[in-house]
Amino acid sequence: MGGRRSALGWVVLGIAVLVLPWILPQRYFLRVVDLALIYGTLALGLQLLVGWAGQLSIGHAAFYGTGAYTSAILTTKLGVPVEAAFVGGGLVASLLALTLMPITRLRGNELAVATLGFGVIIHAVILNEEWLTEGPFGMMRIPPLRVGPLLLNTEFRFYYAALAVTAITYFAFRRLTRSRFGRALEAIRQNEEAARTCGINPVVYKSKVFVIAAFTAGLAGSLFAHLNGYLNPNDFTFVESINVLMMVVVGGLHSLGGAVVGAVLLVFASEYLRALREYRMIVFGAVLILLMALGGEGVRAVPRLLLAAARQVFRAARHRWAPPPGDG
Amino acid sequence: MILDPLIGGIAIGCIYSLIALGYNMIIRAMDLLHFAQGEVMMVGALTGVTLVAGLKVPYLLAIPLVMLVCALLGLALDTFAYRPIRHRRVPTINVIIATLGASILLTNVAMLIWGSEPIRYPPVYGSTALVVAGLRIPQQYLAPLVIGGLLMAGLQIFFTRSVIGIAMRAAAQDRDTARLMGINIDAMVRYTFAVSGAMGGAAGALLGPIFFASFTMGEIGLKAFVAATLGGLGSMPGAMVGGILFGIIETFGALWISSAYKDAIGYAIMIAILLVAPSGLFGRRTRA
Repeated sequence: MGGRRSALGWVVLGIAVLVLPWILPQRYFLRVVDLALIYGTLALGLQLLVGWAGQLSIGHAAFYGTGAYTSAILTTKLGVPVEAAFVGGGLVASLLALTLMPITRLRGNELAVATLGFGVIIHAVILNEEWLTEGPFGMMRIPPLRVGPLLLNTEFRFYYAALAVTAITYFAFRRLTRSRFGRALEAIRQNEEAARTCGINPVVYKSKVFVIAAFTAGLAGSLFAHLNGYLNPNDFTFVESINVLMMVVVGGLHSLGGAVVGAVLLVFASEYLRALREYRMIVFGAVLILLMALGGEGVRAVPRLLLAAARQVFRAARHRWAPPPGDG
Repeated sequence: MILDPLIGGIAIGCIYSLIALGYNMIIRAMDLLHFAQGEVMMVGALTGVTLVAGLKVPYLLAIPLVMLVCALLGLALDTFAYRPIRHRRVPTINVIIATLGASILLTNVAMLIWGSEPIRYPPVYGSTALVVAGLRIPQQYLAPLVIGGLLMAGLQIFFTRSVIGIAMRAAAQDRDTARLMGINIDAMVRYTFAVSGAMGGAAGALLGPIFFASFTMGEIGLKAFVAATLGGLGSMPGAMVGGILFGIIETFGALWISSAYKDAIGYAIMIAILLVAPSGLFGRRTRA
């Protein structure tokens, strides 16, 4: 890790993402990229939960939806400035995660089902409390994002805001995972009992990581609300929670970059597979099953596997033309 | 009359129990949340409607046929999707995501085959009700109660009396010791998927005539999932009791509290029970 080569890599990547909207300015494409960045932020939070702390959460859409609806309600009903509402979305989502504290005493599959239940409950609240969320009609006319005098009302401008949020989340999490906190999470993932004997209180750490993941999910939700301008309760169901989980696993567990890569891959796949029409989800399901055979590394294993395959082909070819001495 | 909805709740609960049994068998055998279980049930309901309405098979004969189809489906899922992945020694979550992939696949293949409109079963039940001690039991509820009850009893006998059943339990309890005793673990896993598929199929064939048969009905599997958790993940009695309990909770929650929050109430009670008993009502006290 580190060194000149990786520094060069970061510079190249940085320049590439900064000039991207100028090279490919098509609105539809940029919209998909914007969505990918929102999901990237969402997946980063879940990666911390699943990939580091080893807590299977299948109710992440609850935090995402809470952030989105909070920001929408604050701006459309209470006249709060968008900048404040954006942060408010994250804060309310993390407050909601605090109520999960009792659940974090659970483990493994039971914890997973409890988070699933939590997601269903939040969705039911969004769907039924019409005085607050407009219920099944959805929230309309949500103002676009703005930073002071800068109105981010196009896909192009929004891109930089989403990029900033994703990048800040990424680098903050990078620091976090390399700190004592991150090592404690890994300890909990590997063996909760052993972690406890080392003086790590799993309930406290699990609660903290839920709050952090919820905060970023809330911010992602705010971004989505202001990009879309319209929210529907069905954007935040169990299916959405599963989507984010798929991104984390496809990108590879225990990798922050992997979470973002997984998000980009899945968002692009679900948009550009539309050409397959009714076969789209069949192909998606089949590819997903195939990808799972790649193991914990997810798609990160692909370059290595390709390289190994190429090497093998190359070696076989060389053998055919020039058998090594003693081979026959 | 308070007992009428109770009968309905228990009848639906029996169907949840059948699906939950499928979940718990698979969890017990390999610690895997099998998200495609609801979709196996959905395929069962749709196969049932094809048999009964299309091929004019008598309903009572259609149920075992559906169970056979779904047992084969469970087997196929394991053989072609999960086993190749499992054998690569990937983290469990990868296999879980593969089961989600399978559920997406099954849902959309079913939509392609049976269309996106919900299909109504032809009337398979008469309108007369059985009256036991002044209690009216409509025929549509009688079938899940009787057939579900028989299946669960049969499963219990299978697991306690038959060699394969005992071998399956042994393999689930201690993989390595079972292997030393000459039990073929891979075969036991295959049987587990087949039996849980059959249970899902029966649930689908019983549920279809009560509601509709539709490619989206796999979502009901999530409720059975909650039922399984309520009773204790990986526990057979837990699945049976949890399913019936969830059916009752759901019915009375909708009746007394709010029908809009019907699902949410069930989930809230599940979470509350987990907080008191972290591994469910019949859950394993200790775990590996």
